[in-house]
Amino acid sequence: MEPMSYSLELRDVRKSYGKFVAVDGVSLGVPEGSIFGLLGPNGAGKTSTIRMIMDITAPDAGEILFFGRPRQPEDLRRVGYLPEERGLYRKMGVTEHLIFLGEIRGLKRRELLPRIEKWLERVELTAWSKAKIEELSKGMQQKVQLIGTVLHEPDLLLLDEPFSGLDPLNQELFKDLLLDYRQQGKSVILSTHGMELAERMCDHICLISKGRVVLTGELGALKRQMGGNTFRLVAEGNLDRVESLPEVEHAVAQNGVVKLMLRPEAEGP
Amino acid sequence: MRLDNIVVVAKREYSQRIRGKGFWIATLILPLFVVAAAVLPSLLLAKSRAKQRVVVVDTTGQVAPRLLEKRPDDRKSQVKEQVASFEFVVEPPARDPQAQRAELDRRVLAKEIDAWIWIDEQVLTGKPVEKPVEYHAKSVSNFMTQEVLRDDLSYVVRRVRLADAGLDPDRVGSLSAPVDLDTVRISKEGSRAEGGLAGAAFAYILFLLLYMVLVIWGQQVMQGVLEEKSSRIIEVVLSSVKPFELMMGKLTGICLVGLTQFGIWLGTLAAVSAPGVIASIAGLPEGVKLPTVTPVMVLHFLLLFILGFFVFSTLYAAIGASFNNLQEAQQVAGVAVFFLVIPVFLMIRIINDPSSTFAVVTSLIPLFTPLLMTLRISLEMPPLWQILLAYALTFGFLLGMVWICARIYRIGILMYGKKPTFQELWKWIRYA
Repeated sequence: MEPMSYSLELRDVRKSYGKFVAVDGVSLGVPEGSIFGLLGPNGAGKTSTIRMIMDITAPDAGEILFFGRPRQPEDLRRVGYLPEERGLYRKMGVTEHLIFLGEIRGLKRRELLPRIEKWLERVELTAWSKAKIEELSKGMQQKVQLIGTVLHEPDLLLLDEPFSGLDPLNQELFKDLLLDYRQQGKSVILSTHGMELAERMCDHICLISKGRVVLTGELGALKRQMGGNTFRLVAEGNLDRVESLPEVEHAVAQNGVVKLMLRPEAEGP
Repeated sequence: MRLDNIVVVAKREYSQRIRGKGFWIATLILPLFVVAAAVLPSLLLAKSRAKQRVVVVDTTGQVAPRLLEKRPDDRKSQVKEQVASFEFVVEPPARDPQAQRAELDRRVLAKEIDAWIWIDEQVLTGKPVEKPVEYHAKSVSNFMTQEVLRDDLSYVVRRVRLADAGLDPDRVGSLSAPVDLDTVRISKEGSRAEGGLAGAAFAYILFLLLYMVLVIWGQQVMQGVLEEKSSRIIEVVLSSVKPFELMMGKLTGICLVGLTQFGIWLGTLAAVSAPGVIASIAGLPEGVKLPTVTPVMVLHFLLLFILGFFVFSTLYAAIGASFNNLQEAQQVAGVAVFFLVIPVFLMIRIINDPSSTFAVVTSLIPLFTPLLMTLRISLEMPPLWQILLAYALTFGFLLGMVWICARIYRIGILMYGKKPTFQELWKWIRYA
């Protein structure tokens, strides 16, 4: 296989909080120009991994590489990060807030103003540019968060559960943005527990569970390779035992639905 | 550490707060509050300034006429005028004292007069008498008014007694005049006359203002941190700004806000205390001298404010980061307020003797230095080595505080959910 150039690469990254191991040796590579799905149920270690990527917490061990070399402090300014827990300063004006978000990424006020104007126009918030954040509806605040994430024209987008809580209009806006980014040859990392969404949008995925990488690769290839061995099991009651069956390679349980991935040699039931 | 990040965060904090109504309201209201506390009592007393009609029944026949005369040498006349003035109506004693007394009581109740006094014959003998002068009124709690009346009566009675004894009242008066203390403050810049009471009042006002800015803006730091946590903006910011940069930026920005406010107050105080200004505004009696504020003093006050602000606000920032809401944080914030309140209790003793060992030692304790050194400097300039030692100790203490609080802040700010225990906080501090 030809050597792929990665926007972001993790090598055997580990993180524990006391006795709890949140990330247990995760390695993954985000190819340039891809929409990369970081998948897994709640508590799998996605947010812990993302926080280490963004240098909000430090890994206990392992390497994080940006654009093919060890991460430099400057690299973080090339990332557009939208955390799962997102908010805004309620008392600030819209334009003012966006200027602040741009300035902490090292941009100057005068280069920001025209960009902000352009973006507010695109999401139809021009009339609200002087309003305070607290006067905005929830949907409008989501738009401001979106602009704040991309205002500094990052080379890599890192979005943690971007679609949770979005109204349908904003979901479309986000999707357009992701596709735009891929078209420009930039990468997008999308962390989510919604498999359907990942299937529709991502071209590469990494499935993690309990802090370990279960599966990673190009989505189409994975489907061809594993497709026949993956099942959705809808059942009542305790499904923990399913996982320990010898034929099961991996099981992801969520809301009473279990996704079973069987070992290649196992026969379907 | 990126300095430009600290600047961006500080700029946001400053511009947000300085534009808020709260800042200007507090800046205007608080001094009014302090001044009101000083002026209000005399304003309330001014209510009784309307002339009071008092009937005087003088059984001696010698006191009442002189009571109507103006005292030539009354040193307190201005003050007394503020408190009470009287319109005396002299009435001769009737044949039936009981009936006359009953009639006077009726007139008081009917509001024809405000009070009546009955002067006993025996008052001029100088011997102890059971009831030398009686004062009857609907309210007898107006002790200031009574004090003025007592003073005037004593003066007249004393003169009559002296004359009776064959002495010249004026000569006795001048010979027995009390001595005034002319207070002079000695400092390296040269001695100057200064009112002792005015000096203490100035120190007191400055102390209270500093105490208030430290409490108010410390609390603001805590609320600001809590707001960043609860509005969940924090993680977006932390992806570009390190926790330490965020904390220092926040503290710097809010410190500048406090400095602006304190500067406005200090400037006003300095302007008002400039020679002649306050006297012309407040109409102070001549002879009361006000302390003046030198630029060196202002410089020390500002430096002490900055040190004090950072010492307490790093603590407030760590507290804000450790908890999830204001109620939880407020309980622990009492610790910070506790250290701010102790100097308030030490204040009186230091005002009495600003260079005592007690004052020197307490003003060198880092947590008390900002307030107590300010107090001492405003009273009399301490030796330079004491000021420098206090600065060094406080600054060293501050570095330790920043080291500990930044560690708590860094971890606490991303922790949601349950309140941390002290063991957990200890773990955060040790956690690399």
